[in-house]
Amino acid sequence: MNLHKIMIIYRKEMLDLLRDRRTVITSFVLPVILYPLLMIGFSSMLSRQEHVLEKQEMTIYINNQVMDESSLLIEKELEKLETFQIMEPINLFEKANYLPLVEDNSIQALIEIRDSLSTNGYLVYITTVSYNRSDDKSTLAYEKITNALKNVEFDLVGERLQKIKINREILNAVDIKEENVAPPEKMVGFALGKFLPYLLIILTISGASVIASDLVAGEKERGTLETILVSAARRNELVVGKYLTIITISLLTVLLNLFSMYISFTYILSQAGEVATKLQLPLGNFALILVLMLPLITLFSAILLSISTYSRNIKEAQSYQMPLIFGSIMLSMVSFLPGFELNFGFALIPIVNFSLLIRDIMLSNYNIQYLFLIIGYTILLDIIVIAISIKLFNSESVLFRTAEEKSLKFWGKGKKDIFSTQFVMLVFFILLLGLFYIGGSWQSKDIMSGLIKSEIFIILLPVIFILRISKTNIKSTLRLNKTNPLNFLLALVAAIPALIVVAVLGQLINLVFPISESYVEGMKNLLTASDGGFWYSILVIGVLAGICEETLFRGYIINGFKKLGFWKSIIISGVLFGIFHLDPFRLIPASLLGMWMGYLLLQTNSIFVPMFAHFINNSLTIVITTYGDKIPVLKTLATADIIPYWYIFPAGLIVYLVYLVVEKINPKIEINEL
Amino acid sequence: MIEVKNLTKIFLQKNGEELFAVNDLSFIVQKGEIVVLLGVNGAGKTTCMRMLSTVLKPNSGTATVEGFDILKQSQQVRANLGYLSGDTGLYSRLTARETITYFGRLYDVDEPKIKSRILEMADLLDMHNFLDKKIDLLSTGMKQKVSIARSIVHDPPVMIFDEPTAGLDILTAKNIVNFIHNCKENGKCVLFSTHIMREAERIADRIVMIHEGKILAEGSWDDLRTATQLHDLDDIFIHFVNNSSREVNDESA
Ligand SMILES: Nc1ncnc2c1ncn2[C@@H]1O[C@H](COP(=O)(O)OP(=O)(O)O)[C@@H](O)[C@H]1O
Ligand SMILES: [Mg+2]
Repeated sequence: MNLHKIMIIYRKEMLDLLRDRRTVITSFVLPVILYPLLMIGFSSMLSRQEHVLEKQEMTIYINNQVMDESSLLIEKELEKLETFQIMEPINLFEKANYLPLVEDNSIQALIEIRDSLSTNGYLVYITTVSYNRSDDKSTLAYEKITNALKNVEFDLVGERLQKIKINREILNAVDIKEENVAPPEKMVGFALGKFLPYLLIILTISGASVIASDLVAGEKERGTLETILVSAARRNELVVGKYLTIITISLLTVLLNLFSMYISFTYILSQAGEVATKLQLPLGNFALILVLMLPLITLFSAILLSISTYSRNIKEAQSYQMPLIFGSIMLSMVSFLPGFELNFGFALIPIVNFSLLIRDIMLSNYNIQYLFLIIGYTILLDIIVIAISIKLFNSESVLFRTAEEKSLKFWGKGKKDIFSTQFVMLVFFILLLGLFYIGGSWQSKDIMSGLIKSEIFIILLPVIFILRISKTNIKSTLRLNKTNPLNFLLALVAAIPALIVVAVLGQLINLVFPISESYVEGMKNLLTASDGGFWYSILVIGVLAGICEETLFRGYIINGFKKLGFWKSIIISGVLFGIFHLDPFRLIPASLLGMWMGYLLLQTNSIFVPMFAHFINNSLTIVITTYGDKIPVLKTLATADIIPYWYIFPAGLIVYLVYLVVEKINPKIEINEL
Repeated sequence: MIEVKNLTKIFLQKNGEELFAVNDLSFIVQKGEIVVLLGVNGAGKTTCMRMLSTVLKPNSGTATVEGFDILKQSQQVRANLGYLSGDTGLYSRLTARETITYFGRLYDVDEPKIKSRILEMADLLDMHNFLDKKIDLLSTGMKQKVSIARSIVHDPPVMIFDEPTAGLDILTAKNIVNFIHNCKENGKCVLFSTHIMREAERIADRIVMIHEGKILAEGSWDDLRTATQLHDLDDIFIHFVNNSSREVNDESA
C-alpha cells in the first residue's frame, strides 16, 4: 500500500464531494444554522408560552357549602387572584355535572368547600380542588389555588393561636430548606447525557451514509468504477482513500454539530438570567467525547463502505443501510433507559457501549478501564470490517453484479414482487416504525385496548391489505392448509420444554447483561395486568397475538427469504420476529421462538400449527405469571432466577424429539416449493 | 504485445447453468498493429477485454501484456495498459483537465509530464476549448475524448478500446479512429472491439471474429475474402456464423 497513492485518491474524492452542493449543505451548512435557530426558536417559544399562560384568563367554580366567615375568606382570597374568573354560583350544585367541564378544559378548576369538626373541636375546611393534570393551564391554576389556600390557612391558624395566646413561632418545629448538591454542570450533564449519544449517533450515521453510498455504489451506477479498477492504483489503496474520505466528512459534520450545539447552548444559558449564568457546559467532557467519537465514526464508515461496495447502485445501498441506521438509532436510545449501567457485557455491544459511556462521561462519572476497552474493541471491529471491504473490492462477482431490474410494481400485475426480499424488509420496517410510534402511544393510554388495536391494525390488516391488493392467493400464501392433527399435539408437548430452554438461555444472558429490577416488574405487570381478568388476557395476548403475529411473520415475511433456502429463511424471519418485540432483553428468546415457529410452518406446511404453538406459548406465560406461585410444577418457572441450568438438557431433548417426529410425519417439501 | 492463450471465462447464470462467455480464446496482437475483435452483442468481447485489463479473472487459460502475466503480475499489466470501454463514465463535478491529471497521478506520471501529455492529446483530439469545463457541461463526443485521454495519459505501450465509438456522431468517431491510427504509427499495440463491420474494415490490420465466446475466424480482410470467396463484409460474417453452427450440429448428430 502506497500512502502517496492513497492521498491522491483521498484528495480527489474530497474535491469531488466538496463540489457537491448536497453534501455541503447537509454536512456543513445545516448544523451551523440549525442549532441556533432551533434553540433560539425553542426557548423563545417556551418563554412566550409561559408568559401567555401566566396572563391567560382562568375560570374556576367555587361551591361553598359552609358560607361562614372563614370559608368566605377562602373565597375572597381566590377572587383576589389576578386573571381568575369565578363562575356565578348556582342553586342546585351537582358535582358530577361540573367535572366534565374541567375535563374538557372549559373551566380550569372546581373547588368545593365543606367543613368538618376535628377531634379537638375546631372546624376543618375540607377544600377539594378538582383539576386536569394533563392540561398545562389547569395545572397552573391548581398551583395558584393551592398557594392562595396556604395563605388563608396561615392567617386562620394565626388567628386561632392568637385567641389562645400562643405565639405562632411554635409552629416552626421543622424548617425545610432545599439545597441541591448536584453542581450545575452535573445537572446540565445529566440532561445532555441522555440525549447526546442518541443525537451524535444519528448525526454520524446519517451524514456518513449519504457519502458512503455515493462513493462506491454511486461509481458503479455512473460507470466510473471500472476506470479506477483498471488504473495502476491497488484495490486496498482505493478502499483506504475512500474510507478516509467518509471519515473526514463525518468527523467534520460531528465537529460542526457539537460546536454549533455548544455555542447555542451557551448563548441560551447566558440569556436565561442569573441562575443560569452559573451553569456551565462541561467543555472538557465535550472534548473527550469528540475523541471517543473517532473510533465510532471509523466503524460506521467501514460498515457503510462495505455496504456500498456490495450494492449494485445507490438505491440498493440505501435499502441495505436502512436496517443498520434504524438498528443503530434504537440501540443508541439505551441512554434514555434508567437502570442500565455500563458493564463488561454492554461494553462489547457496539453502539450500546458508546451510548452508555457518553452518558457517563457527561455525568463526569465514567470508568477509565471501560473507556479503553471500548476504544480498543471498536478499533478491532474496525480492522475486521475494513478487511471485509477490501475483500469485497477484490471480488469480481460483487463488483460486476449485473443489475436486475426489480421494481416494486405490486400495484400492477407483478405478483412475485411483494415477496422480494427488499419489499418484505421495507414492509417490516414500516410496520416496526408503526408499532413503535403509533402502537406505543396506543398502549401507553391503555395497555390492553392498545394491544388489541396494534395487533389488528398494525400487524394483521397490513398483510391482508398487501395480499389483497396484489391479488395474491391468500389461502396458499398464508398456508391455511389442513395438516396431520398429530402436529398440534406435538406442538403442545414441546411448549413447556421450549419455554424452559428459552428461559434458561435467558438466564445465561442475564448473567452477562443483568436485567434491571424495574424492567422485570414492568414485564410482570404487562402479563398480569388483566383489567378484564385472566381470560381476557388469554384472549388478547394468547389468541389474538397468535393469529395476527403468525399471519405477518409466518404468513408473509418468511416468504421473502425462501430464495435463501429452508434454514436461512427460518433463521432470518425468526430474528426479525425477535426484533419486532422492540425489547433488547427479549430479542434472543423471541428470536428462538420465532425460529421454532418458522420450522413448524415449513415442516407442516400449515400456518395453524405455529399459530397454535404461539397461542400455547403466550398463554403459558400468562398462566405462569398469574398463577405461578400457586401451581407447584410451575413454581420454579415463575420465579425467573432459580431454574436449575441442567433443566435445559431434558427440555432440549424433548424439543429435539418433537423435532424428529415432526420431520418424520410430514411429507418432505422441495425447497423451491416452499 | 498481447498474447492470449486458451482464455476461458464462465459465468454462473440465475438458473444455475454455466455460460461460457469466453471459450478457449487464443490470439496475438503485435507491436504497431491494430487488431479488431469483431462480434455481435453478447459475443464475449467485453468479457475478454476485462480479463486482459485484470478486473476479471479467467477460469482457465491466461494472457500476457507486454510480457506480464495477467494473473501473476496484474499490477504491471495495468501500468502498461490503457483501457477504455464505451460505456464507462466520468466524474461529472471535475473538469476535463482535473480528470486527466487525476488518472495521470494514479499511473505515477510526474506532474510536468502530465501537463505536457494533456497538451499533446488536446492537440490530437481537438480538446483545447473544453479542457477547463466541468464534465457535466460537455457533449457525449467531448466526454468520450476526455475518456480516451484519461485512459492513455500514461502513454502505455498497449491500448484496449472496447467499442469506443458507440453512440458517437461520425465526425467525432472519425477523429477518434484517426487518433487510434496515430497511436499505431507510434508503435503502440492496439486491441479494438466493435460490432460494426465497416468500422472494423476501416481500422483493422487483422480481424478476430468471435461468436458465443469462440473464435470464428482470424486474419486480414483479404485473407477472409479469399477464404470465403465472398465480398460483402456482412456476408462474410454470416458465412462464418453459419459454418460454426453447422459444426455444432454435426457434432451433436
Ligand atoms: N458479470 C456478468 N455476470 C453474468 N453474465 C455476464 C456478466 N458479464 C457478461 N455476461 C454475459 O456474458 C456474455 C458476453 O457478454 P459481453 O462480454 O459483455 O459481450 P459483448 O461485449 O461482446 O457484447 C453475455 O451473454 C453476457 O450476458
Ligand atoms: Mg460489450
